[in-house]
Amino acid sequence: MTGFISRRLPAYATLAAAGLVAGLALGRVEPVALAAPFLLALVAAVAGHEPQVSVRASLDRDRVIEGDEVTAAIELSSVRGIDCLELLVPLPPELSSEGGAARAVRLRAGEEGTVELKLRCDRWGLFTVGQVLFRARDRLGLRSWEGTAGEARPLRVFPSEETLRSLVAPLETQVFAGNQVSRARGEGIEFADLREWQPGDRLRRVNWRATALRRSVWVNEQNPERNTDVVLFLDTFAEVRAEGRSTNDRAVRAAATLAHIYLQRKDRVGLVGFGGFLSWLVPTSGTRQLYAIVEALLTSQVVHSFALRGVDVLPPRTLPPKALVLAITPLLDDRTAAALLDLRARGYDLIVIEVSPLELVAPTPGSSLELAHRLWRLSREALRWRYEQVGVPVVTWREGVPLAVPLEEVNAFRHLARPA
Amino acid sequence: MTAYGGVLADALTRAPSPVAAFMPGAALGAALLGVALVFGGRGLGAALFLAGGTYVASVAAAGDQIDGSAPLVAVLLLLCGELSAWSIDERLGIRGEAQLAWGRATGIAVLSLAGLAVAALVVALSAVPPSHGLAWTVLGAAAAVGAAGTGLWVARR
Repeated sequence: MTGFISRRLPAYATLAAAGLVAGLALGRVEPVALAAPFLLALVAAVAGHEPQVSVRASLDRDRVIEGDEVTAAIELSSVRGIDCLELLVPLPPELSSEGGAARAVRLRAGEEGTVELKLRCDRWGLFTVGQVLFRARDRLGLRSWEGTAGEARPLRVFPSEETLRSLVAPLETQVFAGNQVSRARGEGIEFADLREWQPGDRLRRVNWRATALRRSVWVNEQNPERNTDVVLFLDTFAEVRAEGRSTNDRAVRAAATLAHIYLQRKDRVGLVGFGGFLSWLVPTSGTRQLYAIVEALLTSQVVHSFALRGVDVLPPRTLPPKALVLAITPLLDDRTAAALLDLRARGYDLIVIEVSPLELVAPTPGSSLELAHRLWRLSREALRWRYEQVGVPVVTWREGVPLAVPLEEVNAFRHLARPA
Repeated sequence: MTAYGGVLADALTRAPSPVAAFMPGAALGAALLGVALVFGGRGLGAALFLAGGTYVASVAAAGDQIDGSAPLVAVLLLLCGELSAWSIDERLGIRGEAQLAWGRATGIAVLSLAGLAVAALVVALSAVPPSHGLAWTVLGAAAAVGAAGTGLWVARR
């Protein structure tokens, strides 16, 4: 521990000394009387001793969902007792505590106490919590001793998820069994069509009603249930942040939601963090992949970079053929736009979910910024038009609107546009 | 502020004419106290020093008669310092138990009463006939050196 003295203690010492010297010089008792209480305060400060304190901190959970509360318990004990022990748990801005992260307690000799802090996790992320700064003070605060205790432990705050009833179906499925009804014909449950019998067809596939009507043997065809490969393409080149909200926060929530639900459907899901810091996860299925994706999302952040980057830098296994690529982007950076068009040119089934930054950038009405804002919106419209020209659905996800709404728009687009 | 105002009021009422001669020090001290309260304690020592200096100057200018209210003035100065520091500490907004405030209030009260008693004792001792002038002088000098030494020792820790 490091000892400190109050700023007023040297002032008291100076006052006391000056009073005594003035008493001697002037031959009067009043300055000496003035010095007496300050001398007593000095004696009281000197009489204080360095406290012995034991501080341990722990969290009741290390994985929580965004919006949940986690309790930090600080266990204290002191052999000699402390008149005033101030504690501060340094918290990142994403975590908050009611009444602040600082507490002051009094510990009697040999007493053990516990201070509990309810930490509210306002935003997802990977944080370290648990280190405690403490300051023991004497009763008047003339001397203090400061130190740190506790071990910084990781706290994972997972993004909250949206409720989705339906997902975007990919245009093409993979070869493994899954929950997605394939467009191909084969062994399955869903009825697809009728065709004339061919050698090798099983007897149970014969449609006897059609056979009776047409006077030749006709069989049923089914659509098999297959899995799909889904690649979540997260644009981390740029974001718009205002009043504690950002496009990247919502993009991460959307990615976590989509990953969870696609993995529940036994699909293989991969992740590409495309930005100043490039990261990827090869598509795989299972719960372990969900945790891997969420862990990767927790550390995803917007890193500004001027490097020209295309999809060539990604390992080929990251983007398997016939994969559904769900790009979650605020459409702010040209490099992402070029990369997505490149993906479409390579034949990937691409969907762009635009995380709208418009709600976070509102110019003052009547100001010159309003014109710039309109031009910016026009340029965004032009970019959307470019995507639509090559058959890529672009849906806008506005703040306060459920994620299910833009996904339904994608389904409607596909139903009407009937892409090849 | 009230304690500080009390010290200045006492000093200015005792000061001989022209009182205006003592006003600059008092005004500067009050301004410094205001600065200290606003800016987290900077200038508090100088404010106390100026108030004490104004009081001593006014008492010295008033004549040779011993001022019996000196212990009270001393305690008011100490209270001003302690309560200002407490006020500044409270701005940190640290949530604490109620007994902490009671403990500090008790500490200040005990220190003030003890200071009052010691200061009153000093004033009472000054009434002793000065037949042993050299001994008192040596004792006073030793006390001054001791106070300065204590201050230096505390400042180094």
